[in-house]
Amino acid sequence: MYFTIIAFLVNNLINTILLTLHNLHYILVGMNISLGFSDNKDHIQATNEAIGQAIIGLGKKRRDLAIIFTTIEFAHPLVLKITNNLLGEIPILGCSSLGIMTNKGIHKHGFAVLLISLGEQVFLNFAAVKDVNKMTPVAAGRDLGKKLLYGCKDVRRNLSLIFSDGLITDGTSLINGLQENLGKSFPLIGVSASDNFAFTKTFQYFNKEALSDSCCGLLFGGKMHFGFGIKHGWKPLGKIHHVTKSEGNIIKEIDGEPAIKLYENYFAKDALELAKELRRISIFYPIGVYLEGEKEYLLRNIISIKDDGSLVTQGDILQDSPIRLMIGTKDSCLSAAAASCEEAKKDLGAQAKFIMVFDSAARFTLLGRQYTKELDIIKAAFGEDVPLIGIYSYGEQAPLKSISYLGRAYFHNQSMNILAFGGQ
Amino acid sequence: MFNLVLFAIFLVTFGLAVFSLSKMQQIKNKEAKISELKRSLEEMDEQAKLIMRTDMELNKTQEELDKKIAGLDTLQRLSRDISTTLEEKQIFKKIRNDHLEELGFEKCTAFLWNDLKREFYLCLNLGYGNDESEQIGRAVNAEKEAFLELIRSGKNASSVFIPADFLAKDKICGIFMTHSFIICPILAQEGDQGFISVGTENIETCITEGEQELITILANQIGQTLDNARLFEKTWRSQQELEINATGRTRQLTQALEEVGKVSKRKSDFISSVSHELRTPLTSIKGYAAILLAGKLGAVPEEIKARLAKINRHSDELVHMINDLLDISRIESGKVNMKIENIELKYVVDKVADLLGVQMKGKDISFESSIPEDCQRVMADRSQIERIFINLVGNAIKFTPEKGTISVNAHCSGRVIQVDVKDTGFGIPEDAQEKIFEEFYRVENTINQEVKGTGLGLALVKHIIEAHQGRIWVKSKVGEGSTFSFTLNAA
Repeated sequence: MYFTIIAFLVNNLINTILLTLHNLHYILVGMNISLGFSDNKDHIQATNEAIGQAIIGLGKKRRDLAIIFTTIEFAHPLVLKITNNLLGEIPILGCSSLGIMTNKGIHKHGFAVLLISLGEQVFLNFAAVKDVNKMTPVAAGRDLGKKLLYGCKDVRRNLSLIFSDGLITDGTSLINGLQENLGKSFPLIGVSASDNFAFTKTFQYFNKEALSDSCCGLLFGGKMHFGFGIKHGWKPLGKIHHVTKSEGNIIKEIDGEPAIKLYENYFAKDALELAKELRRISIFYPIGVYLEGEKEYLLRNIISIKDDGSLVTQGDILQDSPIRLMIGTKDSCLSAAAASCEEAKKDLGAQAKFIMVFDSAARFTLLGRQYTKELDIIKAAFGEDVPLIGIYSYGEQAPLKSISYLGRAYFHNQSMNILAFGGQ
Repeated sequence: MFNLVLFAIFLVTFGLAVFSLSKMQQIKNKEAKISELKRSLEEMDEQAKLIMRTDMELNKTQEELDKKIAGLDTLQRLSRDISTTLEEKQIFKKIRNDHLEELGFEKCTAFLWNDLKREFYLCLNLGYGNDESEQIGRAVNAEKEAFLELIRSGKNASSVFIPADFLAKDKICGIFMTHSFIICPILAQEGDQGFISVGTENIETCITEGEQELITILANQIGQTLDNARLFEKTWRSQQELEINATGRTRQLTQALEEVGKVSKRKSDFISSVSHELRTPLTSIKGYAAILLAGKLGAVPEEIKARLAKINRHSDELVHMINDLLDISRIESGKVNMKIENIELKYVVDKVADLLGVQMKGKDISFESSIPEDCQRVMADRSQIERIFINLVGNAIKFTPEKGTISVNAHCSGRVIQVDVKDTGFGIPEDAQEKIFEEFYRVENTINQEVKGTGLGLALVKHIIEAHQGRIWVKSKVGEGSTFSFTLNAA
């Protein structure tokens, strides 16, 4: 028992040190990937086409893992059935999104598959939890962490990739639950599935199942080489306010007044009018929580307004936290995208072999007709031909970079999260 | 001493008072600065509020502008696609989900009115399942009078403006299963009219004037294209009918032609077999007449001799006629093998003139020929060409009075050589000029009654020339003579 606790702590300590010292990384040995994408209107044909491309691309290499991303209309049981039939008994994970990013462009309709052949020295475990809201996000996180750790006690774990429902109201609790088992300083990168801003149903894919209100994840162990960067580009505006009463992801009072007053004062609109424009407010003017040592504020989207004037956010905000109202512009958003790429490149410290992009759906809206510029920035930073796959999310999960946070993962909004994998 | 102490106390008290006053002043100054900073902060916060509000308005405007640009771009592409469509059913197929999405909607239907069935029928369904579209169809037809009135008025209905006498907003939302909608009449000039509906379930969407304008343009474009398609279909149908009629006529004519061909072949076969049958007994008749004439069966009186000579001459004429008939039928049935070779025209003309020289001399007819150097050589069957000249020059001799003139001229026109056989004879009446090339046709006049002939010569000439891919015609005026012209391929 004592040995397990000590080993756990030592492992966390090692991970923390490795994460904070940018030039030290795990080495990924002999990992191969192949991408497939189709925007064929027929979802069956699209699945066949995309998987066909990926299989051909991977050649005779062993297929170990498939990550699939679809736009919402492709979230169909037949798509998963065909995927399973074509790929055989390998883990299949992924989620739905309002758009898919590939080297070829940003696609509002389509099916994408990332086929991975892991190196001999890479270990993989995968799991899913269902009914997250029913069992509470923290309990679901704990359960998923436990499942992911199963059989991995003696392996050096170095990355966890999580796909969760973007409509889970308390994303922070889910991470907290995961961290209870995986370790607080463990590099956890995650993405919250999105739909087309309908906010009605998102999908998480786990083998043959298309789930909702769930979270599925991967745990990589062994020798891997990766780096990540996360930035949003929103700037604080106006004076500092204080959360005087909060409970998890519900801000009840700000500066001793009902939380909604903050927005009422700034936008000269009453609660009813604000509720009508909630999506716009949530995207353009989120709440920023000051983080000591971090270059950017931690953003919190407003999901809903309660009758008592409380604001429900996607992540938690601690009581007494100093907060600011934030504002985003196209320029600041694109600068942040470039900064995120640079951070990931620096973190990786080598030429990227392939890139995964978890980009906030809010950024897609903010950029409007310029939405393709982010992809141009990524390609300019990493190289035109470096394979990339990405989706638009309702929330991102990634560790904070400042040493004072010991590499602990947080729930983010409005961010572009770049995960770059390196070669040997 | 006491005074000194008092003075010291005074000094200390004074010092403390001065110090306190100074401190108080400093505090006051700092308070003033803090208050100033606070005021500045408040003012900056107010400015921040202004920035936020302005930014929000700007974002809204930008969104609206982006939407409009995207919509116009989509509409332009869609209009181009639609306007080039000439099939009514294909027009609605050109509108796709991605177009709709770029216009800011996810659901769309289009209905046209069927006047015969007195109901609306669905032409376009985007964003609805089959069950849903059927349900919408039933609901629309249940309110058909309201929709017909909307079409008649030519007005739009949308979730922000509904014309009087049309359905209530909630009712329309229920029919089309949307939160926001635009319904626009499709006003075609001819045929069935209808309407297009677009909508979204997004509760945040508020229909703008710009969106209404875009959908109106789209509906108008559909209306115009429907007109074009219907006009095209009408024209196409007329053309089809014409083509069907023409095909029918052609078939009838082909059948008639085939029938004529069959009859003609039967005629040729009949003539051929009859001619063969006739030639055998004729040969016997001619043989026996010759034996009798030669006196091989004993002396024959002069009177009988004269009769026998007549039998012999008429037999020769009959054989000649039968041979002509046989030749015609052979040429018609393609049984004659033409030996096409490069021959010299002048040589043939001279040979024929030599052959018929005695006859011409007998009537004191002068003969002229003019065949230029470059028209000398033709591709033809030598013996058949000789027959053409013998017939044409022979006819000219027959129908040219004494001291007349016969001339043979030739001239070139590209790869074709035209030969004219001209005489100064009696001429052929205009109404007979077409018929003289028919078998057994003879012009009914006194001259013909005097001049012997079978009526087969020109028919045979025509067949021979046509077998050489040439043609023959005549120009003639009664009393002035005739010119028979024919063409042959140059060598």
